[in-house]
Amino acid sequence: MPDPAVAAPADGPVRRSFGRLRLVFLFAALAVLPYLLSYSQQEIAVLLVINVLLVSSYRLLTLTGEWSLGHVVIMGVGAYASALLAKRLGVPVPLSLLIGGCMAAGTAAILSFPLFRMKGFYFLIGSFAAGEIIRLIWKRFTDPFGGPKGLKRIDAFPDIDTGFLSIDFYEPVNYYFLALVVVSASLFVLYRIERSRIGLTFHAIHWQDRLAESVGVDTFRYRTLAFVIASFFAGIAGGLYAHYVGAVNPTRFSVDQMVYVLVWAIVGGTATFHGPILGVVVLTVINEMVLRGLGLDTARPLIYGAILILSVLYLPDGLESLGPRLRAWLQRRRGGPAAAGGEAA
Amino acid sequence: MMRKTLDRKLSRRKFLGTTAASGAALAATGTGLSRVSFAAADTIKIGFLAPLTGPVSAWGKPGLDGCLIWADWVNAKGGVKIGGKSHKIEFVGYDNEYDAGKARTGATKLIKEDGVKFIMMLGGDTWPGVEKIAAREGMLFSTLLPSDLTPDTKTLVAPCEVHPIYNVTGVEWLAENKKNLKTAAICAQDDALGKPSVATYLAAFEAAGIKMVDAPLFFDPATTDFAPVMTKLLAKKPDILCLDTCYADYVHPLCEQAFQQGYKGQIISCTADFYQKIVEKTSKDFMEGFVFQFPDFDDPALNAKEVNFVNPNEFYAEYAKRFGAKEWSAVSWEYASIMDLWADAAAKAGSAEPGPVLKAMKAGGTGKHAFGDAKWWGKELFGIDNALVGNWPVVVIEGGKAKIKAFKSIPAWWDKHSKLMIKHMTALGQMWNQR
Repeated sequence: MPDPAVAAPADGPVRRSFGRLRLVFLFAALAVLPYLLSYSQQEIAVLLVINVLLVSSYRLLTLTGEWSLGHVVIMGVGAYASALLAKRLGVPVPLSLLIGGCMAAGTAAILSFPLFRMKGFYFLIGSFAAGEIIRLIWKRFTDPFGGPKGLKRIDAFPDIDTGFLSIDFYEPVNYYFLALVVVSASLFVLYRIERSRIGLTFHAIHWQDRLAESVGVDTFRYRTLAFVIASFFAGIAGGLYAHYVGAVNPTRFSVDQMVYVLVWAIVGGTATFHGPILGVVVLTVINEMVLRGLGLDTARPLIYGAILILSVLYLPDGLESLGPRLRAWLQRRRGGPAAAGGEAA
Repeated sequence: MMRKTLDRKLSRRKFLGTTAASGAALAATGTGLSRVSFAAADTIKIGFLAPLTGPVSAWGKPGLDGCLIWADWVNAKGGVKIGGKSHKIEFVGYDNEYDAGKARTGATKLIKEDGVKFIMMLGGDTWPGVEKIAAREGMLFSTLLPSDLTPDTKTLVAPCEVHPIYNVTGVEWLAENKKNLKTAAICAQDDALGKPSVATYLAAFEAAGIKMVDAPLFFDPATTDFAPVMTKLLAKKPDILCLDTCYADYVHPLCEQAFQQGYKGQIISCTADFYQKIVEKTSKDFMEGFVFQFPDFDDPALNAKEVNFVNPNEFYAEYAKRFGAKEWSAVSWEYASIMDLWADAAAKAGSAEPGPVLKAMKAGGTGKHAFGDAKWWGKELFGIDNALVGNWPVVVIEGGKAKIKAFKSIPAWWDKHSKLMIKHMTALGQMWNQR
């Protein structure tokens, strides 16, 4: 066994190397994954990748301690904006996707003025009300939002055909890789923000907002910043969804859908960056692949509910806590006999 | 703290564990799918892509239950004879949860992995997710909501329920039989199903000389408290309370509210799914005379010569035996009746392939609708003649039981009042070129 005092200086670079290696393996697995799946499972994988961005962006907002019930509606703002820009004004889809994200961020910036006058439970209810107002606007104004039926025949991502290379984004495997690139880049940005001074400030506001204010932190501006950034990426997720499925309607962004995001975040855990991602991946695989594969279509809500209750009861810190708990258990097992031996000596 | 968070990153072991678990799960799923695809070669698979869970499941799940009875009966007789050979029928269901994205996934699974020859849908919000696949794959789809039809939806047919056009028959019957009713109030959930239905009722009331006491009241589909909705509806004391095409989850509390608020007038609704439960929650007297459009199939009137649905009374008895009479809904028989039409067309075409079946189905411009011979129609309203329209029953609750009072002709009403229908559909933005 190496001497810890000697191993310590090499620990940083070694850890970084392992970290990079893990990332390489992760991306290799994600690159191979669609070829191991059936066609319909590839479709599920596309929606899953989009939902990973949605729930990860939601986590950024929760870093400041505020839980919103309007995040899915904000995703809808991005979806509607991107769809309308492409459909009505002929804006190229990649550009409309970006503008859709900006529109979602802009909406969040405007909403932050009334919403961040509230905190905690009041913010939760306020965000729900704001989301419902936006949904009612989509329903009320058939032109341009399509009313209750929403928008359909939304332009898809343009196919790429260079003669020797042809990519049809209608095919789920191609859209999976497109979404994977966009979502990976977005997750990288979200991760860097969380690790930055701004991210630390978000944490500080969450745990000690009065103390943060006392040292000159403008908590309103930082909460707004978290809300705007989270909304931008939720808007991007919305655009990815709209241009893939080809249809959006107000019901798709209802509070029912928001409950799923909350469940993913709660079951996965929000203490770490990967917690909510773990939640959405595990629950989607169980709900959309395993239970359907077992022919339990109609029993899924029941089983899904049971999983939620059990995870809250037995895994209150989420799936993300499984790893550390397992490591601690293994260490106790390894340390047990050693400690006993030491005592005997 | 940040260091601790870093330490808790995804470890290789954890990653491998998760990957293995996912792999096992996928393998299990994959195995299941292969089993399905190795089914007997003389079995024809039919897709059932509808909400089987969630608030709209009342218009999906009972339909699949009805189809299972249909398949058992047909298979017991040797199956469907196509091209001189008998084929068993197997239904493959997929719960789309009334979501366009999940409908897209379900359609690709049914077509590419299960190899179905025909897909039945509820339609509505889910059709836009499937439209492109239908066009690309040339798959034959059916919908219960003809408002999905446009000139581009060439492989989509509405061969059973021409919602909401048949609602005119209920209003026409009321006007003929209860001449004292002069005013009406209407409410609907503000969605793709509610609006075209409101336009239809407004046209039907105008044609019948019945005046609206107020503008239509659209409530949000997320509404759970119907007391204020009903208070507003009854404020101007209408003779008729029209519940439009509200989902069962709304019709029940709306009726309860009307009962609790002392309403004693006429009620008309497109559906009254699980109406026995409404009778239990209110009273027989309150529900007496309730008009809607979907009969129980134990009704003797369905044994009339012109009705094409095979053994309706026996079908109802079997349904009640397997699932309970209280589970009977508007769609329990509808998908099964579409299967009658499909089987007939496949036999005529000598093939189960979507193209020949569609051609045979529409041959001569007429078809055998559940309630009698009908014609393929819809150009003016939907931009394409892919809706099968003929007679439709008017059903009234008497003594706590639904009874067919008349079969009325939708084309006959249309010939007289088409301009009114187009006017109201246009006003609410429901014409095919406005959608």
